[in-house]
Amino acid sequence: MPVSRDFKVGLFIVCTAAILFLSLAYLAVGKGFFENVHTFTLSSKSGDGFTEGMPVVFSGFNIGKVHALELNEKGVVLIKIKIPQRHIQWIKSDSEFILYRPLIGSARIVVNSENLASPTLDENMIPEVMLINDINDAIARIEPVLERIIQIAENVEQLTRVLSDPKGDFNRTLANAEKITANLAGKKSLLEMAVSDEASVKSVHEALKKMQDITVRLDDLLKKTDEQLYHQEGTLPQVNAILKDLLGKLQRLDKTIDNINQISTDTSEGMKDFRFLRSDIDDVVNAIDGVVKKIDGIVGSKKDLEFKVP
Amino acid sequence: MKKIITIFSVMFLFACGSNSVPDWKDRGFTQLENYKTHFLSGKEDTVEPHFIKARREIASSNDLNLLAVAYLTKYALHTASLEHFDAADFARLQRLEPNPSNMAYCHFLKGNFRATDATALPARYMGVLKAALDRDATLAAREIAAIDDPLSRLIACGVWTRYLPEDVRILQIAISTASEQGWRRPLWAYLAKLQSYHNERGEQAKATMVKERLELLKK
Repeated sequence: MPVSRDFKVGLFIVCTAAILFLSLAYLAVGKGFFENVHTFTLSSKSGDGFTEGMPVVFSGFNIGKVHALELNEKGVVLIKIKIPQRHIQWIKSDSEFILYRPLIGSARIVVNSENLASPTLDENMIPEVMLINDINDAIARIEPVLERIIQIAENVEQLTRVLSDPKGDFNRTLANAEKITANLAGKKSLLEMAVSDEASVKSVHEALKKMQDITVRLDDLLKKTDEQLYHQEGTLPQVNAILKDLLGKLQRLDKTIDNINQISTDTSEGMKDFRFLRSDIDDVVNAIDGVVKKIDGIVGSKKDLEFKVP
Repeated sequence: MKKIITIFSVMFLFACGSNSVPDWKDRGFTQLENYKTHFLSGKEDTVEPHFIKARREIASSNDLNLLAVAYLTKYALHTASLEHFDAADFARLQRLEPNPSNMAYCHFLKGNFRATDATALPARYMGVLKAALDRDATLAAREIAAIDDPLSRLIACGVWTRYLPEDVRILQIAISTASEQGWRRPLWAYLAKLQSYHNERGEQAKATMVKERLELLKK
């Protein structure tokens, strides 16, 4: 059966339209066009860093984006985020929302859900977004370092200024050093170099001579002292004699102490006897007591042994 | 001969019957009696060991009531000699094992006449307690003189003299009792009291006489 051209054209158009429609539908489904989208509202004191279309990330995956930013009557920024139905299970009532602004890369809202068993966030709840700001942190850390570098630079500048000043301390010191070396080169002796005056050099010489005289006299004195101390009738022999005498006396004292020791041992032995004596006396007293009791018993003169207050 | 045999057999029977007193009681009683004698006769060096021994013997019987009686005896002797005493030991015993008659006696010795339970007090002190409550010195002198036991009489004198206004009749009763028995410690205490009594009333001659007598006795 011959097919007409019209029919062929019609079939082509219909097929093309169907393919176009199907591919569009496929794209729309793939992009989540027909998916149910949930809107949650977050709040922040400052809208700084938030932009529309900013991604919302859970565990490094995009699960939604910022849809709109609003400022309510209290001055609080409301951030509306849209989360498709398939990602709704990551948004929990106790989730934390953090605005993370890394040093490199674009800012994003990070969702942290510790407890995945808790219920899904109610769309009427408005949790607050916390801020983590890498840039500011880095700046805050670098600031004191920069201050120190500035100080060091200032000090270096001051140093170079002082060094380069023709009337400054450093140049004066150099000039003085020069003078001193010139002076030293012109003197006769090391002493003169130090004192820079001939008269004082002389007086130093005289003083040295006097010192020599004094040492000679001191020698004499020491000889005399030696004689006084170590001569046969000097002090030391006498001290020796006294010490020997003392030694003899101490030896005799040793005997006395031995005697005392002996006496104390004898006494302690005697004290042992005392204990026996004491027990003997007790025995005698008890025996007499017994006799008295027996006599009392025989005579029958026993008193009435009732304890009474007088 | 028959009579002699009868007497001996009776004595033997008595001897058999009376030998059941425990040793601690015998010794405790004797030591307490010795303590009394030594205390009153003023042998101060040997007094305390007797009390300690008596206390030790009585304590070995575990009878707190008897121990309290020993302490009360000590306090009574101090009172009879007009001396102060500390009743802390008795108070501890009384706390552990309360005894109304001991308590009454202690109150009496301490001069707490209102707190003294008259029915629990030994009968010989009843009249003195009544007189003390009425502060009637004449009645007291009469009641004290009527007490037979010389030590009890002296204790009654001590209680009156220590806690109530001194009375010369009571002092005289005490002095004559102590002199009769030869109890030096209370005798000297009452003579000294008599001297101060006369001094307070300005009777210097009497006071001097008593003083000289005391000095002579103490010599």
